[in-house]
Amino acid sequence: MNAATPVEVYESGDAALRVVANSPDRERNWAAVHALAAWLETADVDGLHGAVPTYDSVLVEFDPYVTSARQIRAFVLLGMRQLDYVGAPARLPRQFDVPVVYGGEYGPDLQKVADHEGLSVAEIIALHTAKSYVIRCLGAPAGSPMMDGPDFPLPVPRLKDPRLSVPAGAVSVAGRQAVIAPASAPGGWCVIGQTPLTVLNPDKQPLVPYMPGDLLRFHELPAAEFQRFAGLELAASA
Amino acid sequence: MSGTLTIQQAGHSVVTDLGRFKGSRYGLPVNGALDQFSARAANILAGNLDNDPLIEVTALDFRMRADADLLIAVTGAPLTFTVGGRKCPQWEPVSVLAGETVVLRGMNTGLRSYVAVHGALDAPMLLGSCAPDTVVGFGLKLSEGTVLGARKTVPPIRQPYFDLPLFRLGLSRPGTSDSPVIDVTDGPDVAEFGDTADLLFNTSYTVSGRSNHIGLRLGGTLPERQSTAEVLSRGVPVGAIEVPSREELLVLHRGRGVTAGYPVLAVVTSRSLDVLAQARPGDTIRFRKVTVAEATAGHRAAMRELEALRTSVNTVFGLLGVGAPASWRELKPASGS
Repeated sequence: MNAATPVEVYESGDAALRVVANSPDRERNWAAVHALAAWLETADVDGLHGAVPTYDSVLVEFDPYVTSARQIRAFVLLGMRQLDYVGAPARLPRQFDVPVVYGGEYGPDLQKVADHEGLSVAEIIALHTAKSYVIRCLGAPAGSPMMDGPDFPLPVPRLKDPRLSVPAGAVSVAGRQAVIAPASAPGGWCVIGQTPLTVLNPDKQPLVPYMPGDLLRFHELPAAEFQRFAGLELAASA
Repeated sequence: MSGTLTIQQAGHSVVTDLGRFKGSRYGLPVNGALDQFSARAANILAGNLDNDPLIEVTALDFRMRADADLLIAVTGAPLTFTVGGRKCPQWEPVSVLAGETVVLRGMNTGLRSYVAVHGALDAPMLLGSCAPDTVVGFGLKLSEGTVLGARKTVPPIRQPYFDLPLFRLGLSRPGTSDSPVIDVTDGPDVAEFGDTADLLFNTSYTVSGRSNHIGLRLGGTLPERQSTAEVLSRGVPVGAIEVPSREELLVLHRGRGVTAGYPVLAVVTSRSLDVLAQARPGDTIRFRKVTVAEATAGHRAAMRELEALRTSVNTVFGLLGVGAPASWRELKPASGS
């Protein structure tokens, strides 16, 4: 049995704590914060609102009238010890295939990213479509699938002037991360393409079809084909 | 028995509740009433549960017509509140007769008012909440002609003395100011700002017109991040203060995206988030540092006030039979008069 993954707990106001897993192993940290979030979810503690797990951390939100940072901190540490015994529930990842039209009006920052990386546009697309990405967490906006980025030589800088609106389906990169925007929202990441698929369906629950741990792969789509896929919903590949 | 009300002038108003607390794990912001104290108070005064759907009116004049006898309460920013042309008190239950028009106008300080209707309003729900989510495109935004269903009607409660307020429940209302002091606790990343972190407490900041339910943008002397290491996206709490640009401070409110890649300098307390909800563009804000223990104590004191209010309301409504089967009743003049 491994020792529990070491965590540090930081105050984040009167209604939240940030729990950071800080083992040297990134995969282990990621698994630990997601297992903790799932454990907190099932624990159904009075006053505990929810948990937002990302890469190496989880934000735990609570009602400071019903409980307190001190109690939640103790409960989180208890959870980490419990998980050490039971382990995280295993789930088979599903695969999602996402057609993307790169560049032009669909990906206004593609050339800029290529220039920054010292690569051609074709090489950027080749790297972006080269492998399946693990969906690490659901983020802003609206349950975006946050993924480790493609194997570019350099981290991609964020835009100096974030856009006021990025369309739904925008496929972006920043730092060493990659993402799809399920809904139109402001954004500071470099947009390199757009998928015609609909990612978000407010009439379904959950609103987005993937979960952390699922796999996602991008496929290049000629611009002429965009309309053929428009409106289809993103779904796991059979 | 249920009734309806018809929106005649929507201004900028929505049906909301305290928020989508189960949304964060799906990447959805909590949203909900930005001034939580006022929203809770309105619902309590109307004899509802704290979290029942109610109307949030932002900045502009608002008018609706009751199509049945209703009991309502208006809280939040001070304004002129009339029912059938009669001036009525905010922060008290008010009886509205079928056919009467309810007007909220002249909001000059503060930014948001709340209208709760006894029996609560019907609204579509997403993950257990009716709170609008502008990013997902969910929620009930009101416009002229919108008909809202109220789940209960309340027969008119008549006040025999024409000019005396019907109720005087005596909740101490939060004051509004155009230069509020906002309490914050140290953020988890305060160390990244080095010595410049204290600038937050030595400067006053001006609320920019680009502020909304997602966040307030504040101009002033900005603390600066000292490190340039890349930050992985992390969950950020409502109230997080970030410095994303050289121009403005960003204070995240209830519509904030659940994750972000900026270090968190400080976090606004739950109590002060309600104050920020009432801040208007051009208002001047100063920050004051408190501990999490002090912040928690402040929040609990406010919640206890609301508990006491609920007890009074329950007693009064019990005596009046509000919530009981419909029947016409008149209050007897007090003896000795």
